[in-house]
Parts: sequence; structure tokens; C-alpha cells
Amino acid sequence: MAFNWRTQLQNQVNRDIIGREAFEKLVGSAGIGNDDTVVLYGDNNNWFAAYGFWLFKLYGHQKVHLLNGGRVKWLNEPESPLTKETPNVTPVKYAVAGVYAELRALLPEVLQASARQDRNLVDVRSVDEFTGKIIAPPNLPETAQRAGHIPNAKSIPWSTAVSPDGTFKSPEELNRIYVQEKGVDPAKASIAYCRIGERSSHTWFVLKYLLGIADVKNYDGSWTEYGNLIGAPIDNPSGGSNGAK
Amino acid sequence: MIDFICYMSHVTRVYSDIFELLPSEENPTPLVRIRKLNPAPDFKLYAKLEWYNPFGSVKDRAAWGMLRRLEKKGKVGQGHNLVEATSGNTGLSLAAMAIARGYKLRAIVPGRIPGEKKTLLKIVGADLEVLNDDVCPAPGLGEGSINRAKSHAKASPNEYVMPNQYENEENVQAHLTTTGPEIWKQTEGKITHFFAALGTCGTVTGVGRFLKSKNPAAKVIAVVPSEGHDVPGLRNISQLHVTKLFDSTVVDDILEIDYKLAYTRALELCRQEGLLAGPSSGLIFEGAREVAVHTKNGLGVMIFPDNIFKYLSNMRKHHPELETEGFGFFPTP
Repeated sequence: MAFNWRTQLQNQVNRDIIGREAFEKLVGSAGIGNDDTVVLYGDNNNWFAAYGFWLFKLYGHQKVHLLNGGRVKWLNEPESPLTKETPNVTPVKYAVAGVYAELRALLPEVLQASARQDRNLVDVRSVDEFTGKIIAPPNLPETAQRAGHIPNAKSIPWSTAVSPDGTFKSPEELNRIYVQEKGVDPAKASIAYCRIGERSSHTWFVLKYLLGIADVKNYDGSWTEYGNLIGAPIDNPSGGSNGAK
Repeated sequence: MIDFICYMSHVTRVYSDIFELLPSEENPTPLVRIRKLNPAPDFKLYAKLEWYNPFGSVKDRAAWGMLRRLEKKGKVGQGHNLVEATSGNTGLSLAAMAIARGYKLRAIVPGRIPGEKKTLLKIVGADLEVLNDDVCPAPGLGEGSINRAKSHAKASPNEYVMPNQYENEENVQAHLTTTGPEIWKQTEGKITHFFAALGTCGTVTGVGRFLKSKNPAAKVIAVVPSEGHDVPGLRNISQLHVTKLFDSTVVDDILEIDYKLAYTRALELCRQEGLLAGPSSGLIFEGAREVAVHTKNGLGVMIFPDNIFKYLSNMRKHHPELETEGFGFFPTP
């Protein structure tokens, strides 16, 4: 069963996730019932699958998992098959059990977290994006008017959490890196952001489910929202790439 | 009607089809001695000119070995095609061989490769699938284009088979049974040093195993470009994980060379030796030069993988004086 994160998991008119009714329709038409177990996987080390996972959790689906290592790990297992067949599904009635909006950070909360420094604000983009050397990775269309990062954010690129075979590192190793080395305080609430909200979903999953931090939000507006705001404070240590460059 | 029956002959060089030209002990690619640029008179250096292969590079050997095995197993033919992640010489060899034999290559290439290379692949009949590989480097398994090719082979096994030059032992076998014996015969068993670069590592592993079986004292030296290099087709140590064919037991030494020298030496080979060698040849030559200077005495054979013609934009980048725009050296009438 395939979901396209860009065209099916996001509102095609406003910049937003799909609404409750659209989610019900999408999931129900895929033949997924409220009690079904959903396993998500995707490319790019599960960035988009993690975004889907976040959306399923936001809309209260209980039994949802990420396939550790994503599609690439599956592909490189000698015995695991692939098919191009389209599955036959019988649509079912799906009803959102509850909306868990506390999994999502919106701009006012991000501005507050940056100003008060009372939460872990984790920038998961590449170091060059964080330091303002570039606005976005090469050849990616979604960009911003300004480069840099949200003041008081910590730079922990999403790939920090991943082993060479594409799976997540062990919780012990993640704890050593995120908590001991990078200074994420597990007692504090946390917000992860990136450029368009997909890499940050990956780190959101790590912080919440592998490090066990209770209150973790994904700021899906991310840099393409923040870096376009008039008057928002920005740290840009490299001083480069601003404006129309 | 002209009465002419064509018999394959390496003497008259008449062939009934292009595949008869593929190299073997009886029909080796040439060994040409380096003259002006040899830094040590008692260390004889010979270049093995792999661009004399019928499809233009050393990759003919691996491509032919892999194809022949797939044909024997009945895995390729009408409607049963190849899929491979390649933007370079392997793609050219595979695509040209495949279409001449009645099937096709689907080449998975990264979007960032130059347009000329994509056009070349299309000229020799490949179907191109261009990937945008530049999405924030991922530490996951392998490269995007390799995984894409694997996906086709796994999801459509009746339609596609993947030779997979990075994992296919036929790649090594090709060099064990052709390149190695050719060099042994051509040097009358007197070779002391063999120089090759690392890409899939088929050449160094195959030739290395052959030479070591004949003379364990013969040195096998891998030449690699420095970090951040842009020499097409080559890998340095940090990029070696992609291949499964590297056999360190047959490699005596790995020499890292400043990659910019690949272009400088290639230009010198073109201008001073009349050898129209490409940048990977330039890099290997620099490695061999350094060994020749230190060792002083020996007989070295260098693989020169392909010629310069595919690398004009790379050459202009590293040697801006080669730009042809804006110079008025041509006499006006």
C-alpha cells in the first residue's frame, strides 16, 4: 500500500497536514481499520515514513510501527521479496480516535522556546544548513529567503541516529550521543525541526520512542516557514547565502 | 558478387563481428613503453592501453564476462534486459554489447553527471533513468542508484537482471583470465610491479590473483585519488565500502595521490608521449612514477583504463588554459 507524503499526506491548497476527514478517507480507502497494525517504511532512511508515523500518531492510531532500516534495508536482505503488484483492498470505515495536537509544534511555541530556552530545540538539518552556508541541500526546490538557524537550537543532524546499514543506533548509543555529547536534557520538553518537516519527523521518533522523552513535538513548518518570516530572530554564523542568492 | 569469406584473424585483423575483437592472450591490448616521462631509466614502465578494447575501455572485459555468464544462464535475451547503476564506461560497454545482441540496458544514473555522458548512453541504445541523488547524504546501505537498480531486478525479475559490477565475481574472473595472462605473456613473466586504480576493484583483484599465482614477489600496487576527488570511475579508501570485490591479500601497497595530478599527468601523457590517456591513467601514472623513483629498478605495467575524449569538461575545469573561447590565435584572412 503506497502513500505519497507530498500529495496524499499534505493539504494540497493550504500548507498544512491533511485534515481529520481527509486522513479518515485516505486510511479507510486503503483498507486500514482502527484496530489494524500499520507498518510504515520508505526511502531516505524512513524520513517520509517517519512523517507518516507522526501523522498516524497525531490522529490517534494506536498500532503503528516503523520498519527499522526502511526500504533499503529490506531491499538488501537476500530473502526479502519485492513486487510491483497493486494490492486489492476493500475500503473500510475509519474514524479518527482523537487528535493529539501536542505532538505538533506551531510557530508561536517555537518562538517562545527559542526565547525562553526552556526546551530542547533540535535542528536536524545538515551542518551547512545550520550554519547558514547553504539554505537547502542542492537541487531541492523548497527553500527560504534567509539562511541560518533558530537561536538557541542545537545542531544534531538526523543522520546522527542512523547506523551504516540504515537502522537506528541502539538506545544506549543514542543516549550517549544526544544526551551526553549534544546536551539534550531528557527532562525537558523537546522540539525537532528541519526544512520541510520530514527529516525532523525522523528525529522526533528518535527523541520520543528511542530516548523516551515524554514531550516531543515536530515543528513541521520548519525552516521553510521560519526562514521566510519578517523580523524573526536568526543565528547565521557563516553569514552567507542570504537573500536571493 | 564479390567472393569474400570472412574468417576471424588477429593477423589480418578481419573479424565477422565486433565481439571477436574482445581481448585475450592471443589478442591482447597493447603495451606501450613510457619514454620521455619515465623518471627512472632502469625502471621500465609500460602502459596497457585499454582504450584499444572494441567498446573503448577496460570495462569491456568485465561487461563481457558478466554478459556471457548471463547469456549462458538464459537470463538475458528478447524482453529480458539488463539494469545497472552506471554512468560511465561499464554502462557504455554493457549498453553497446546488449543492443548488438538483441536486448537492452536500463542505466540508472545520478542527475549530477554531465549531459554528454547521458547522451553517450542513449547513443548506444540505453534506456536512461535519471535519479536525483543529492538529498542530504544518507548513511544508509549503498548508493541511491545502486539500490534503484536492485529494486528493478528484485521487483521485476522476468524483465530485468542486474549484472552488478560491484558484487559480480565475473568481473574479477574477466581480469584473472584475460588481463593477467596477457600481461604475463607480454612481459615474458618479467613484470615486477603492477599498477591499477580502484573502482569496482575487479582489475586489481583479478590481475593481482593471477600475478601472485605466477610470482608471489610481483608487487601489486593500487593507486587511489585523494579525498574530495572528481576522477570519474575511481574510488578512494573511504568510498571502497560500495564494492565487494576488493581483496586486500593480493594488494601490496595503496598509494594515495593528489587527485589534481590525474589531470596534469594526463595532459603530459597526451603532449609528450603521444598517449591520449584519460585522467584515471594520469593518476595511475603518477603512482607508478613515484614507485619507479624509489625502486629504481624493475618492470612496471600500468593499466590505462580509457582515453581522454570523454573528459573534455573535466580537463577544462582543471586546466582553464584549455578553454577555447576568447583566444584569437587563428590567422584571419
